[in-house]
Amino acid sequence: MSAKAEARTVKARAELALNDDFLRKAVKFTTERLRSGKKNASSEQGNWEDWRERGRQIRLHTIANLDYYLNLFANNARANGVQVHFADTGAEAVQIAMEIAERKRAKTVVKSKSMVSEELHMNSALERMGIETIETDLGEYIIQLAGETPSHIIIPAIHKNRYQIADVLSKVAGEQLEADTTVLAGFVRKKLRENFLEADIGMTGCNFAIAETGSMVLFENEGNARMVTTLPKTQITLMGMERIIPSFEDLEVMATLLPRSATGQRITMYMSAITGPRREADADGPEEMHIIIIDNGRSLQLGDPEFQELLNCIRCGACLNACPVYRHIGGHAYGGTYSGPIGAVLTPALNKNVAEWDDIANASSLCGACYEACPVKIPLHEMLVYLRRRKVEQGHGNKAENAGMKGFGTVMRSAKRYSAAVRMGQLGQKLVVRGGEIRSKLGPLKGWNSVRVLPSLPKQSFRQRFKTLDEEIRAGLQEMSPDVRSRMEEALKRQRDEKPEQGGHGHG
Amino acid sequence: MKVSLFITCLSDAIYPRVGEAMVRLLARHGIRLEFPEIQTCCGQPAFNSGYWDAARESAATILRAFDDSDFVISPSGSCTGMIHHYPKLFEHDSVLLEKARKLQAKSYEFTQFLVNVLGVADIGATFPHKVTYHPSCHGSRLLGVKDEPMTLLDNVKELELVPLPFAEDCCGFGGTFAVKMADISAAMVSEKADHVKETEAEVLVGLDMACLMNIGGNLRYRNEPVRVMHLAELLAEGAGLL
Amino acid sequence: MADAERERLRQTDDIQHTEAAQIESAQTESAGKEAAHRQWLKRLEEQSRAKQEAFMAGIAGRLKRPRVMEAPVHPFRGAPDFWRGFELFPEERVARFSEHWRSVGGHVARLPDLGAVRSFIAEKAAEMGAKIVLRQNEPELAALGLEEALPDAEVSVWNEDGGTDWKARAAEADFGVVMADHAAAHTGTVAVLSSKDKGRSVSLLPTALFIILPAERIRTRLGEVLTELDQAGRERLPAGVHFISGPSRSSDIENDLTIGVHGPGIVYALIVG
Repeated sequence: MSAKAEARTVKARAELALNDDFLRKAVKFTTERLRSGKKNASSEQGNWEDWRERGRQIRLHTIANLDYYLNLFANNARANGVQVHFADTGAEAVQIAMEIAERKRAKTVVKSKSMVSEELHMNSALERMGIETIETDLGEYIIQLAGETPSHIIIPAIHKNRYQIADVLSKVAGEQLEADTTVLAGFVRKKLRENFLEADIGMTGCNFAIAETGSMVLFENEGNARMVTTLPKTQITLMGMERIIPSFEDLEVMATLLPRSATGQRITMYMSAITGPRREADADGPEEMHIIIIDNGRSLQLGDPEFQELLNCIRCGACLNACPVYRHIGGHAYGGTYSGPIGAVLTPALNKNVAEWDDIANASSLCGACYEACPVKIPLHEMLVYLRRRKVEQGHGNKAENAGMKGFGTVMRSAKRYSAAVRMGQLGQKLVVRGGEIRSKLGPLKGWNSVRVLPSLPKQSFRQRFKTLDEEIRAGLQEMSPDVRSRMEEALKRQRDEKPEQGGHGHG
Repeated sequence: MKVSLFITCLSDAIYPRVGEAMVRLLARHGIRLEFPEIQTCCGQPAFNSGYWDAARESAATILRAFDDSDFVISPSGSCTGMIHHYPKLFEHDSVLLEKARKLQAKSYEFTQFLVNVLGVADIGATFPHKVTYHPSCHGSRLLGVKDEPMTLLDNVKELELVPLPFAEDCCGFGGTFAVKMADISAAMVSEKADHVKETEAEVLVGLDMACLMNIGGNLRYRNEPVRVMHLAELLAEGAGLL
Repeated sequence: MADAERERLRQTDDIQHTEAAQIESAQTESAGKEAAHRQWLKRLEEQSRAKQEAFMAGIAGRLKRPRVMEAPVHPFRGAPDFWRGFELFPEERVARFSEHWRSVGGHVARLPDLGAVRSFIAEKAAEMGAKIVLRQNEPELAALGLEEALPDAEVSVWNEDGGTDWKARAAEADFGVVMADHAAAHTGTVAVLSSKDKGRSVSLLPTALFIILPAERIRTRLGEVLTELDQAGRERLPAGVHFISGPSRSSDIENDLTIGVHGPGIVYALIVG
């Protein structure tokens, strides 16, 4: 594990990342590319806001009726011949997978990319049993060999350059490979082809599960997920309990939103709907298929009005690509399986241990780029504030900040105290003001003034000069035109009729 | 009709010229901006940090201050955006919740009011400079104020508007974020200032003094001669009102 | 018969007996294992069914309402209404499909009939030196007569006999030849359905893939194809429905596009008619 993951706080890990010039450039380059890809793909599709709203509605509806749809899915999958399992915790899911592997006397498991598997630390569990576990997505394979964890939901090795990758792969090859993408990818193709054909078990995640038919759907570009679901005799699918959508018809909406949001593609090169194990007379496909349906903290969001929408997430990574903080610090700085804005909210929410994820929710400027990018409109920027509030409510706030905010409340309750505070500032700043600005880096000014200059307070605040200003205005006020008056009256009427939603948006 | 100015604490204490610009600009359309003196801060610093009790104390003051106003106009999309959070903040207090909803419905960011309510697209200003515009996140994303400032800028004579690269990226202010996560914030503001520099603009204009204080502070630190101003100031200056 | 000879025969006989006994016991053992395995699966299923009830009750409890047992009204099913009205003319569909297929690095050829398909594949086989060709077992593909058209290649038909390791065969194939069951122009996608005659491996493992796509199978929207899967219903769905939209690719190394990472890197859509 890298130094980044060992550092204890987001702040410390971010500092390491900020000093890693390559990392910052690599992450910036790729996220910018993905971000502009998304922009093009969504405008090519057109009516993007309608699609987003539809995607959100489908997810909201499914989660609101999750017991019905999940039950339907489980029954249908079983009718298709799938062994369905339910796991309350990650440990339970790992246990089930291990039991299957043991029964099958599996020596090798080939895997396609799955964030749930990362969440459960499945690989290390299987490897402790002596089972060779091979990630087959190109990026995942690389970071597995490097002994690292993914730093992006979609591009796991976003933080590595091709020279680093060539070194990692050369060790496996037993010869120095040229740091050329085609050469490196070609080596992996050849190497993993043998593994696909020989592995005992194929293990996948699940992008969507179709309730009405019991099918599981995978999106991918490389073909490795198809290999994993076609060649080994046994297939195990790890599925978060919220992956459900009602029908294939609904899949069209997800297929419109997911690839465009993730990589700016119209659709991924492969989209596979697997409905049960191979049919009796088929000559490929798994003979036995298991789906492990996993809770692991997901159900804690149900019935929580502030966080239930987290379960709508389709794991596209668009919020990572849009996030200016992620761009500067990369995924490992977040310290959890999921990074970026979704990770900052999901990690503490799944674990219900806000206090332990000390500053992760603070690593955001609340700019809302994540919400704007989200294909199912999850208000992540608001959830971050709710997390911060819960931390304070549970008494895990920072002491100095507690006192400071209490003081804030007391001052802001009264204009008198507020004005007194401003006056105090006007007088007190004299110690540090030079030529109308403050450049001192002492005490609380350090963070701000390390890269900035603070303006000084002018002699008079607005409220101190308003009276004079108002007198002048009153003397020379123009008459309001009838046009302006009628427009204002119309606006007043609109305001009265308007039923703003909670936390609603603009006047359009 | 009572049109009230919600000055915001930053413009009150540090940038009073922005308030003056708004007062003078609206007076031209026959509106005498009223200023309830009991107003303080919208409460955002406490709200965003998770201290909602403190935020409520501040917010309750704002609710009182503008109780009998017909329109509440502020020079900040972020502080107006905070008012949009009031219903959530008071969701368990039926009396204040009702007041919060009313305030939300009548609150406007300055250009929203000017363009969408008053129907003013051309203020009749002349500003012979190269200008770039930073759309602040809360105003543009959460309130949807995107076209209004463009309309106003397009109608300023002799003004050369240069597009800001990656304009929609956050400047890294984020209130207490700039202090708590100073390193990340510094990286973000430096990137933003780089983009401003790339445009070779003489003036950086925006709708939120917090972001402008942040970007301007960095430009000043680097001794970049870019003037930073609120759009209200630019329009008032261009119209000879300031 | 000499004693020695008799002794030798006896021994052979013994050996044969022993072998038979061994085979028999292996069969019993394997049948026993099979039964034990079924037992195990049965036990897992019982556990799973019991857990399922608790799981669903837990969800309903969290949502603070009784369990939903009837299908809820789903007013937002599928694509928005404006999208459902979107339909291209047949020729536009061919054009849009081709444009999109090409844009991701796929190849397209518009061919008048199966005869032209046969010549096209033969030409490509000669050009690329294809030695092993694997095709699905479908009447249209049989009608191509690839065996005669490709005298230098070994042409096999998927799952034609029970003795071959068909997955290994697919892995060594230079060309895979399949029929497209459906296609959608808007995304540039074909769909292939699995069956005993249509291996999933054929469109996946060979180096180059030839998909024969009758023009009339190209629909406008992906949703038109997906809706049919709903209409077919669970029991009629094949184990694998694979939507293919171009060659295998990855951008995992420095965001640099590589083609043919695991699946076929060379993919032809041969549009017929």
